Amino acid sequence: MTLDDSIKNKKVLITCGTGGVGKTTLSAALGVRSAWLGKKTVVVTMDPAKRLATALGLKNLGDHPTDLTPLLIEAAKKIPGARAPLGTLAAIMPDTRRTFETFVRELAPTPVIADRVMRNPIFQLFTKEFSGANEYMALERLDAIVRTGDYDLIVLDTPPSRNTLAFLDAPQLLARFFEERLIRWLVLPANKLLATGMRKALGILESLTGAGFMTHLFDFTAALFEVRTGFTANLKRITELLKSKDVGFLMVTTPTPETVEEIRHFVDTLHDHQFRFEGVALNRTLGYLEVEEKERSQPYLVLRGLQKRERHVLEELSRTGIPLCAKLPEMARDVHSLEDLFHVAMAFETGSLDQHDLRPNGARSSKPT
Amino acid sequence: MIDLKTGPAPNSIAETLSRNLIFVGGKGGVGKTVVSQALALLHAQSGKKTLWVAIEDPTRPPGELKKTGPSLWHLNCEATHAFEEYAGLKIGISALTQLFLKNKLMRYLAQAAPGIHELVLLGKIWHERLQYDHVVVDMPSTGYGLAMFQSTENFSRLFRGGPIHRDAEAMLATFADPKQVGQVIIAIPEEMPLQEALELDDYLAKLFPKNRAAFIANKIFPHSSSIREPANDWEKNPLARTAKEYIERRQRLEADNLKTWEERSIPWKELEMVPPNEGAGLEFVVRALAEQLQSRIVDRALK
Repeated sequence: MTLDDSIKNKKVLITCGTGGVGKTTLSAALGVRSAWLGKKTVVVTMDPAKRLATALGLKNLGDHPTDLTPLLIEAAKKIPGARAPLGTLAAIMPDTRRTFETFVRELAPTPVIADRVMRNPIFQLFTKEFSGANEYMALERLDAIVRTGDYDLIVLDTPPSRNTLAFLDAPQLLARFFEERLIRWLVLPANKLLATGMRKALGILESLTGAGFMTHLFDFTAALFEVRTGFTANLKRITELLKSKDVGFLMVTTPTPETVEEIRHFVDTLHDHQFRFEGVALNRTLGYLEVEEKERSQPYLVLRGLQKRERHVLEELSRTGIPLCAKLPEMARDVHSLEDLFHVAMAFETGSLDQHDLRPNGARSSKPT
Repeated sequence: MIDLKTGPAPNSIAETLSRNLIFVGGKGGVGKTVVSQALALLHAQSGKKTLWVAIEDPTRPPGELKKTGPSLWHLNCEATHAFEEYAGLKIGISALTQLFLKNKLMRYLAQAAPGIHELVLLGKIWHERLQYDHVVVDMPSTGYGLAMFQSTENFSRLFRGGPIHRDAEAMLATFADPKQVGQVIIAIPEEMPLQEALELDDYLAKLFPKNRAAFIANKIFPHSSSIREPANDWEKNPLARTAKEYIERRQRLEADNLKTWEERSIPWKELEMVPPNEGAGLEFVVRALAEQLQSRIVDRALK
C-alpha cells in the first residue's frame, strides 16, 4: 500500500516519529499531494519550531487555517508536466497555550470557574513548556477540526517525540486525573471522613511543598472538578475517533540501526490501543544513488556504508512483514517551498523513486492524472 | 536574542568538556547519545571516575546502573526510582516514606503532575554528581531537555519555602556555576538543528546567564579535495542525480548551513561522520568519536 492509497482511503492521517526524521516535511508533502489529487486538505502541526512554516516557505503560519491553494497552483506551474491541483490546501499551526485556554473555557460551566482555573499558579505551570499538554491538545484540535466537516483529509503532524508513544498515552493519563475516587480527596480537604493514611500523606506532602502550595492545589482541583463531565465526554469521543477506520497512523523514520526495533515497539502499542497502522515511511534514503566500486575516498566510503545499512533495514522490514508505504530519497538540500514538496510527493504513487525517474528537470513524465 | 558577545563565553570548548557535570543537548537525531558517551569514555580512559546518564532509555531496565568499563558507569535515570529515592531522603522515616509512596493520590500526582517528572530526574543527577569526577548527561531533545531546567525553576517558585524549594534553589545555583557545570549543544549541519541549537542557547542563557554553552557540529560529511563545487542549479531540483553530485552538493550545503553559526560568531568544533561499519554497533562509533574529541578538541587546546 502506498501513500497515495492512504491519502485516498482515509479522512485523517497521523504522522508519528522521533525528531530529525523529516516528519513535518513529509506531512506537508502529504497535504500537497492530497490537494493535488482533489481533496479538500488541511495540515495541522503543533511543532513549536515553526518548521511547517519553513517547509511551506511561509513565515507566519497561525492558529487559524491559512489557505495555501493559490500558492499551490502557482507552484504547480513551475513543475514541468504537472497539471493544476484539483483540491484545496490549508495549514494550521495551533497555539498550544491558546488551545488549552479555549479548551478550559469551553468545558467550564461558568466563566468565573474558567478564570479561577486559569489564574491558578498550578494551571499556569501546567500550560507553560509542558510537553504532555502539547500532545493532548493536538488531539483536541484534531477532534475540533474533524467536527467542522470542512475537510476531506486532515494530516496531523504530531510533536516529535523520542517516545512516540507518549502521544498515544496522553489522553489516558489526563483522564485518570478526573477519576472521582482520586479527585475527591483533593476537593474536600477538610473532610473528616478522610482515612488516617490519606490525612498523613497529605500532611507529608504539605511539609515538603511548603505553605501555600496545598491551597493552590485544592483550589485548582476544585475548579477542575467542575469540568470533568465535559472533559470525559471529549476524551471518549477522541478515543473513538482514533480507533475509527477513517483514521490511519503513519510512522516516519530513517534507516538507522535502531529503526526496526522502534517500529516494532510502535506497532505493538498501536495494536494495544486498537489504532490502525498504515505503514512506515522510510525517509532520507540514499539507495537511489549509484555508487561505483572504484571510488574509494572517504565520502564514497561513508555513502556506501549508509546505503548498506539502509539495505539491511529494508530487508529486516520485509522479513518481519512490516508494511512499507514509501521509501523517500534524501534531498540534497533543505525543503523550503511548495515546489520542493511536489518533488517529495513524487514517490507517493509508486512507493519509491527510481533512477529513471530522475529526469534533468527532476519531473516525472507521462504520469496519469 | 541575547548577543553572545555580552555574556561571557566559555574559555574554550575543551575547558567546558572538562567540568564535573556536563549536559549534552540539541535537537532530536543529532547524535547526543553517541557524543555524550564518547565524552564519558574519554574521561574514563584518563582514569577519571565517570558516569554517563541516559534519561529514561526504554531499551534498558529503568534505574539500571551498569559498570561498562574501568572507571565508567552508565545510569539509566528513571523518574519513579528517582522519586522514591528522593522521597526517602526527604521524609526520612522509612514507615512514613512507604505510606507516602503507596498512597494512590501521591502516586498519581508524582506521575501526572507536570514538571515533577523532570524535576526528580534532574534532582537525581544533581545528587549523584559529587560521587564522580565527571558526569555526562545525554539530555532529551531540545524542548524536553529545556523543560527539565525550566521545571526546576518553576517549582522553586511554586513551593515557596520547604525542603523541595531549597533543593531546587541549590540545583539552580549549581547549574549556573561555570566552575561546576558545562552545557554542550550538538547540532548536525542542517538548517533546523543549527537553528534550534541557537534557540536552546538563548533559553539556557536566560536561565544561566553566566554559564554559556559550547557548540559542537556533528556528523560532518567527510571532505574530499578532489570534489569540486557543485553547479549552481540545485535550487530548481532538491534531488541529486548521481553519487558524485550528491557528495558535492552535500559538502557545499553543510558549509552554507554552518554560516548561521558563523554569522553569530559562535565558536564551534566539528566531528566527522563515522562510516557505518556493519556489525560493529554503537561502541565502535563511540570509540571513533572519542578519538576525534581527543584529537580535534582536547589535543588542540593543549597546544
